Amino acid sequence: MISKKLALEILNLGLSTGADYAEIFYEDTNTYSLSIDNGKVETSTNVNSNGVGIRLLKNLQSVYGYTCDLSKKGLLALALTLSKSFSDKRVLEVTHLKEKKYKTISPIGRDYSDVTKEEKVALIKEGLKEIENFDPRIVRTIGGFNDTERNTVIYTSRGDIVKAKNQFGRAFFMITAADQNGIETTFEGPGAQMDISYFKSENINLKKIAREAAETCITMLEAKECPSGVMPVIIQGGTGGVLFHEACGHALEASGVSKNLSCFSNKIGEKIASSLVTAIDDSTIPNEWGSIDYDDEGIKGTKRVLIKKGILKEYMVDSFNGRRMNAAPNGASRRQSFRYEPTSRMSNTYIDKGDSKPEDIIKATKLGLYAKSFSGGSVDPTTGEFNFACSEAYIVRDGKIAEPVKGAVLIGKGEEILPKIDMVGDDLSLSQGMCGASSGSIRVNVGQPTLRISSITVGGRGGELK
Amino acid sequence: MNIYQRFFAIAKEKNITESELYISKNSSLSMGVFHGEMESIQASTNITVVARGVYRGKFGQATTSSFTKDKIPFLVDAIVENAKVIEKEEIASLFKGSEKYKRVNTFNSELEKVPTEKKKADLFALEKAILAKDKRIIEAANISYNESSSELIILNSHGLKLKQKNNNFAFVGVAVAKENSETKTNFDLILDNDYKNVNIDELAEKIVNGALDKLGGTPTDSKKMKVVLSPDVFASLTSIYINSADAERVQKRSSLFVNKLNTKVASTKVTISEKPLAKTVYARSFDDEGVATSNKDIIKKGILTTYLYNLETAKKDGVETTGNGYKAGGKIGAGVATLFIKPGKFTKEQLFEKVNEGIYITELEGMNAGINAVSGNFSLKAEGFLIENGKKTRPVALITVSGNLLELFQNITAVGSDTKMQLGGVNAPSVIVRQLSIAGK
Repeated sequence: MISKKLALEILNLGLSTGADYAEIFYEDTNTYSLSIDNGKVETSTNVNSNGVGIRLLKNLQSVYGYTCDLSKKGLLALALTLSKSFSDKRVLEVTHLKEKKYKTISPIGRDYSDVTKEEKVALIKEGLKEIENFDPRIVRTIGGFNDTERNTVIYTSRGDIVKAKNQFGRAFFMITAADQNGIETTFEGPGAQMDISYFKSENINLKKIAREAAETCITMLEAKECPSGVMPVIIQGGTGGVLFHEACGHALEASGVSKNLSCFSNKIGEKIASSLVTAIDDSTIPNEWGSIDYDDEGIKGTKRVLIKKGILKEYMVDSFNGRRMNAAPNGASRRQSFRYEPTSRMSNTYIDKGDSKPEDIIKATKLGLYAKSFSGGSVDPTTGEFNFACSEAYIVRDGKIAEPVKGAVLIGKGEEILPKIDMVGDDLSLSQGMCGASSGSIRVNVGQPTLRISSITVGGRGGELK
Repeated sequence: MNIYQRFFAIAKEKNITESELYISKNSSLSMGVFHGEMESIQASTNITVVARGVYRGKFGQATTSSFTKDKIPFLVDAIVENAKVIEKEEIASLFKGSEKYKRVNTFNSELEKVPTEKKKADLFALEKAILAKDKRIIEAANISYNESSSELIILNSHGLKLKQKNNNFAFVGVAVAKENSETKTNFDLILDNDYKNVNIDELAEKIVNGALDKLGGTPTDSKKMKVVLSPDVFASLTSIYINSADAERVQKRSSLFVNKLNTKVASTKVTISEKPLAKTVYARSFDDEGVATSNKDIIKKGILTTYLYNLETAKKDGVETTGNGYKAGGKIGAGVATLFIKPGKFTKEQLFEKVNEGIYITELEGMNAGINAVSGNFSLKAEGFLIENGKKTRPVALITVSGNLLELFQNITAVGSDTKMQLGGVNAPSVIVRQLSIAGK
């Protein structure tokens, strides 16, 4: 924590050479990571990340610095160094700071630091026990738990102090199976912005999740190589949401949009997707993985309807990039930690549910691919070219899910693929992930209902689809 | 008593029998320009202290970013609590030190003497040069200069005291090329610690030409094809392949290299060495456990000659550590400082001639998810050029390339003479791969 008096001193020193905005981001985050490898606890480690980032803005210029020296001297020295980037007269003086009072959407339960390590070990071991003798081909199991308690205080030259405390827990299972033909691995990692009670509640069943990871691993070990070519692809909900995250989401972030470096720059009001597509980025869903009360520059989180029935409506805007595009920030500015300057990022991003029954989408497909889950992807927001990799997939034959296939990757350009979404299911589900970009690795949800792309390029080693 | 001594004393009081501090200090400066204006400046100092100790024969560990007196109780308590839940059978112990450490030169004191104004001027010049080269270049993006100076210190209660200083800088840029309705981008950089090696115009030329060359790219037919991999692409694949030599992964049977020591894991044309002591910005004289590093072959003429060991995995196999213990996700894993792939005798043009009909792959995307490091299977988005009648011809885009790393390395039929140090520390040449599955149209 920084006293109000010192915060005022830092902000005003930062503003002394003509900056029109100053901000202090104080962070004290504690994380714990546990990993149980083949039944034995192999790593158990705590990380404390405690530091301060100071940002100054002057028109379209930003100056950022951070330090782990939290003494008064250290903080003032940083503010002075940063202020030297400008050499104009003061235009702003902060006279008072007032803390914003608000009711959090993700209430804090029991502190993770109050839960013993033994309790976390027991939780994961229970899941692992479920798959102990599942199949002799399973050669390695890793189960683990990560928790984070993030305490931040943001002081801005708007006169605000925004304090936040967020807690996150994530369990994970990674299974490796091998036989004479090869090796396969699968990963499952459910998380929530809640205390440990989430993992013991009816919302989640770690035994079932571990079992499913093991089952998928064996299925994929036995699977044939995925055929390649251009074909219809049905994408299941949950991790399937990585489609929208890569094919469109990143290109709607103000960091690229404001500089005309996005394939969707200057396209508000234009039809960029099929009329069946309504896409939302909502950081206000209680206890969700990507939710926030206020963003990392102290602006209230919002629900953003990015695309409504195919029409582009809104971008994710942070205050700095918003200046270049004359748009007000909408609470989308995020960063991994004090070591990163914040910028526009996604939160909980999903394609909204449609009218089709998932089984009808499968029935309506004669020959194609059913992609059940994904391990991730990437995109160049300027060209819109994206890729994402399937971790579990099946061939669809005559309206039915047929044999499993492995090693599939889907590629395309956002602007070409979004109009080709021709069926959208009514079964929306979200999945937790980490998203990496210029302001670091942050928690995001991806999501969508089951949907179909009428044709997309599929990569794989299995030759032509027959 | 300084703060380090205080930590060791308090740890001892709490029955932590051996303890270690792994301290990394870093200061950095980065500047970005956009449309002729300085858009962003970042200046930072950073410290991370990883404290490790042995409690009742097990390792415990905790990390902090602000190492002050009042963080010592947190570190010491966390070491004890974490050690209590560890269930490894091996008795943990810290390294007492190698007999001899070879010096590496990774700090160039001249870099600090180059005035910031000069660096700024070069940065503005880079943006200007990129925009001026061709009218199809509509934008220069991510134009930045990043400079970092760091120090790594390992201290332990056995009296081990190791230190290495590094500095380096990078000029980075992206060109955006547009023709008709098609947009293409290309990224390149200079990473060095000797400012004398900066040639802004040459960098701009490379960035621009890369983007222009991609214009007009279309998918190819879907089929199996002969392939030339560019040094950049081959370097990325080599990094992932060599990770299979991690002894822990082998011991836990989750590696391609299980039972493969002293057997053929690549074509006889392939020799890959780790050279942590070579003069590069990636050089290391000791690993993260304080063990002296050494230059060595990992794959020699196709034969896997060693696994990569840290102290613990070496003990398990009854061998000496190879000095490859590097921190990874809260524990000591295995890694390499830098890899050198032995060049062959063919120029890139000769490789194209040998292939005659095929595809030259210059970019792979989606490595974070599209490659299974355990099975070696990969399906990745790719870009490149067709090779027709022994020559590089039209650009190819929106294709995928799929294969298996073990098969790929065994199918290398020729190695180029064009080795170049790539980002990530792999000095790699172009190679010919007999066949890979390509999906396009």
